[in-house]
Amino acid sequence: MASSSSSGLTFKLHPLVIVNISDHYTRVKSQMNHSSSATTTNDDNNNGAQPRVYGCVIGIQRGRTVEIFNSFELLYDPSTHSLDRAFLEKKQELYKKVFPHFYILGWYSTGSDAQESDMHIHKALMDINESPVYVLLNPSINPAQKDLPVTIFESELHVIEGIPQLIFVRSSYTIETVEAERISVDHVAHLKPSDGGSAATQLAAHLTGIHSAIKMLNSRIRVLHHYLVAMQKGEIPCENSLLRQVSSLLRRLPAIESEKFQDDFLMEYNDTLLIAYLAMFTNCARYNILSFLPDFVSF
Amino acid sequence: MDIEQRQAELIDHFVKQASNQKGAALGSVIVEATSQPSLFAFSEILAVPNIAEFEGTENSKYLDMLRLFAHGTWSDYKNNAGHLPQLVPDQVLKLKQLTVLTLAETNKVLPYDELMEELDVTNVRELEDFLINECMYTGIVRGKLDQLRRCFEVQFAAGRDLRPGQLGSMIQTLSNWLTTSDNLLISIQEKIKWADSMNEMDKKHRKDLEEKVEEAKKSLSHKVC
Repeated sequence: MASSSSSGLTFKLHPLVIVNISDHYTRVKSQMNHSSSATTTNDDNNNGAQPRVYGCVIGIQRGRTVEIFNSFELLYDPSTHSLDRAFLEKKQELYKKVFPHFYILGWYSTGSDAQESDMHIHKALMDINESPVYVLLNPSINPAQKDLPVTIFESELHVIEGIPQLIFVRSSYTIETVEAERISVDHVAHLKPSDGGSAATQLAAHLTGIHSAIKMLNSRIRVLHHYLVAMQKGEIPCENSLLRQVSSLLRRLPAIESEKFQDDFLMEYNDTLLIAYLAMFTNCARYNILSFLPDFVSF
Repeated sequence: MDIEQRQAELIDHFVKQASNQKGAALGSVIVEATSQPSLFAFSEILAVPNIAEFEGTENSKYLDMLRLFAHGTWSDYKNNAGHLPQLVPDQVLKLKQLTVLTLAETNKVLPYDELMEELDVTNVRELEDFLINECMYTGIVRGKLDQLRRCFEVQFAAGRDLRPGQLGSMIQTLSNWLTTSDNLLISIQEKIKWADSMNEMDKKHRKDLEEKVEEAKKSLSHKVC
């Protein structure tokens, strides 16, 4: 069903869409758990553990680049296996007022792989956009997986067994962020565990962050080193402007060796130690103070 | 970096001009290139074969002048003034700028006295004007002027053309940097392990202490009863 796409469109996905889809899924799932524990519900379509949620993605298409900015939820009518059209159009109108440039580019759903029934929805959307995209989020958490569990499918007309049919083909995509999105994603990535009150775990987390940053720097310097060695051996023709830039970079080293730095560093180190000592003092002394106090305030 | 980008077009232009001309006209190309206010890189022009032909002929002083601009300083010029052609004021300015760059190669803190001597400038005001207008505004140097301590702290200096031996020392510096950062990574990992193990010990200690308190409470309550 899914092979790789050949249409040549570049897809750019914003993190907001991914967060929206996962939020929608989480809400539906937790509401389902909550209500099913209280009463029996009619949501039998949402089979057991993994409800499917549906919605629309919107964005801008410029030439060959499709950039998906935002998304909104849609109601799925299980009897007719289609999305609620009136609601979609109302939402589309509302979004058009706020974001006049955004068009409906496709739709999204959750699940582990694209299914046959999805094609119906896909065809239904083809009158709004002649080639909609289908964004699929896999909600199962797989700790071993390194990539995002998001796949983008396009529809292509392939001839299978003599009949031209529309099938889904996978496309690759890149993640594109606006500055505001970068800040929020960064913030989420740095969330400490909620009971991380212990100093050691915070220290470990902080050190791990520094460690990964230095590791990246290390790998980049290694690349430069390799490049220079190859240039020295003559494998690569000398490129003077790069050499000049590298030499100006290297002249900034050593960065932390001046005497002034040592002085300032030791001073700040001493200050921190002093404050820690003082805090520990007060901590121990509070019991003693309580025992002295009656003597001092005796009338 | 932006200096290199700005220079890239000029370098291409001059290399083309140099490869098309020969003889005395080439000399004027060199003079034009060295007077160009935003051009600080001459090794590409040096590499053009027409210029290398100058070696040993009567125009060899143009070649020497180009080499001076690529690797030398203002004091080199003063010492060899007899052999080299007269410099126009633009070239004098550029050579002084390149001198500042060379000085910034070795030290990060440049005392005013040394700068004044190298640049033939007698008073501090003139030196500071030169540094501010010609070096910092053009973007080849970035740093702080400390008038009280009479020194110039360099934070960034654009690269000059490389002498043949410098590549080896650059590689050496890079490998030192690599080993230092590798060691740093290892020590950070050890610190993380230490933090975790201290955490474990602390928890255990706390638990032991609480158990002792419980026991003591129980024994007291038994004694009372």
